[in-house]
Amino acid sequence: MKPWLVLLSCLVAGFAVAACAGHDWATPAELVRAAAGDDTMRSRLLLEWRLPRVIASAFVGALLGLGGAVFQGVFRNPLAEPYLLGSAGGAGLGAAIALLVPLGGLPQSVMLPLLAFAGAWGATASVVLISRVAGAVDAAGLLLAGVAVAAVLAALRSFLMLALSDDTVNLQVVLSWVLGGVQTPTWAGLGVLALISAACFGLALTLARGLDVLGLGETMAKSFGLDVRTFVALAVLAGSVVVAAAVAYGGLVAFVGLAAPHVARWLVGPLHRPLLPASALVGALVVTLADAIARSALPPAEIPLGLITAIAGGPFFIFLLARRLRA
Amino acid sequence: MTGLSAKNIVLQRGGATLLADLSLSFPPAGSVAIVGPNGAGKSMLMKVLAGIEAPTAGQVLLGGRPVPELSAGARARAIGYLPQHFEPHWDLSVLDLVRLGVERAGDAVAGVLDRSIEQYELTALRQRRWSTLSGGERGRVLLAMVLATNPPVLLADEPSASLDIRHRLDAVRTLAHYGRDRLSIVVMHDLDLAFRLFERVVVMERGHVAADGSARDLIDTPALDAVFGVRFERVVLGDGRILHAGL
Repeated sequence: MKPWLVLLSCLVAGFAVAACAGHDWATPAELVRAAAGDDTMRSRLLLEWRLPRVIASAFVGALLGLGGAVFQGVFRNPLAEPYLLGSAGGAGLGAAIALLVPLGGLPQSVMLPLLAFAGAWGATASVVLISRVAGAVDAAGLLLAGVAVAAVLAALRSFLMLALSDDTVNLQVVLSWVLGGVQTPTWAGLGVLALISAACFGLALTLARGLDVLGLGETMAKSFGLDVRTFVALAVLAGSVVVAAAVAYGGLVAFVGLAAPHVARWLVGPLHRPLLPASALVGALVVTLADAIARSALPPAEIPLGLITAIAGGPFFIFLLARRLRA
Repeated sequence: MTGLSAKNIVLQRGGATLLADLSLSFPPAGSVAIVGPNGAGKSMLMKVLAGIEAPTAGQVLLGGRPVPELSAGARARAIGYLPQHFEPHWDLSVLDLVRLGVERAGDAVAGVLDRSIEQYELTALRQRRWSTLSGGERGRVLLAMVLATNPPVLLADEPSASLDIRHRLDAVRTLAHYGRDRLSIVVMHDLDLAFRLFERVVVMERGHVAADGSARDLIDTPALDAVFGVRFERVVLGDGRILHAGL
């Protein structure tokens, strides 16, 4: 019970700090007035801009933490990251197309998440297909195929950015999205994000027992009745859906998917039934605070969210790598 | 009744034939030791019997039904498999590990978890992590995980190899006694224990069965000496005999 209390307390405190943080810091009293329906411009700005942004950051972080826990569980590797499998890269390419290519039809706000989903699915399916054709459907084969696909997708995205950015397209918008950043949604948009997050959470929870059994090793998992080949393919696709949702709403935010499950594992242990929700809570806390720093550190400019998580997450990754190599 | 049989099993991997037209039949109850030199195909036979490896040709029947036709869950409930090496990827607690073993039965009976923990003397270790356990404690955890649901068939791939002599004796006795009312098939390197504790011994050599019979009869067969490339002395000890490898 204690770790959950610690996690929830930290999240509430982090949420309160993030809601106050900004170019112009708000007091808790101002937040309460805004939430109570005060009609001043200040209150309306807090209610219509800052609060949805903070909540959206929490959802994006929760999705990243959840996706990371699924991928680390499926590859039984604490250094596995959604980005290694190409799912984030695929979502990134899809979103870049939505931002750069005039497709007509649906508005960009709809096209971007749709193409991000399509990109993540496509990239992950490619990774699974390549590893199957190569006859290496194990974790190492999938990871290596993922690294190769991610590299190709990153090159394609860079090419699109160079080739299609002209007077009519603001390259900075694309770049800031690639560098990660949560856009302020409307309350209706936030409702959609909440529904998507809940669906992703439910999807991930269905994998919990399989991930635990898989963690016993492939031979033991098979003897415990798990169809390892099918489960791994399904879990990878499910993890990609979760990551695609995060990328669609938060751009490319690095290292949260790596770090959140680690912190969660310290708090609640490695069993996936508690680990998945705990990873989501840690991810939500990390991105909420990182977004608060992004909005308030260098006013009036805003630092890309992905830069902050990379600066904090890079040393964390090196620490984990060094510890693993020493072990 | 859940007899197990392998019919004309061929297993080829990477161009090599690991099991060559191998046929064996086991009754629903009894203790069987599988022995043979390194590379004889013992571990692969265990995996094929457990449904973990699909044979290139032939079929494994459990209670008269081909194993691949069983659902993964039904197979897990019917066959308990103890691997040669077991190292979980995550540092789970003893309680979590045994619970995963109990839950594979699907409709786990309440109290099974506590009973298994108690039966294998793990009560004091419930909250301990796998990485903090000694070899003997790990062996008991593995037994509790696999045997918690009392599967009708137990396949053990030399799980006691890394244990000290006392824990090895305990583990092998447990596995052999399991065959009193169910089927227990155990890969053994220790020929002395195999012939003393098991009812039947199957001798394997290069993917096929070199000899198969009751332990009492088979201990005298010259095939043993030929398969292992060693001249054994049969030493009378108490009311039985043991094998002593001549130097």
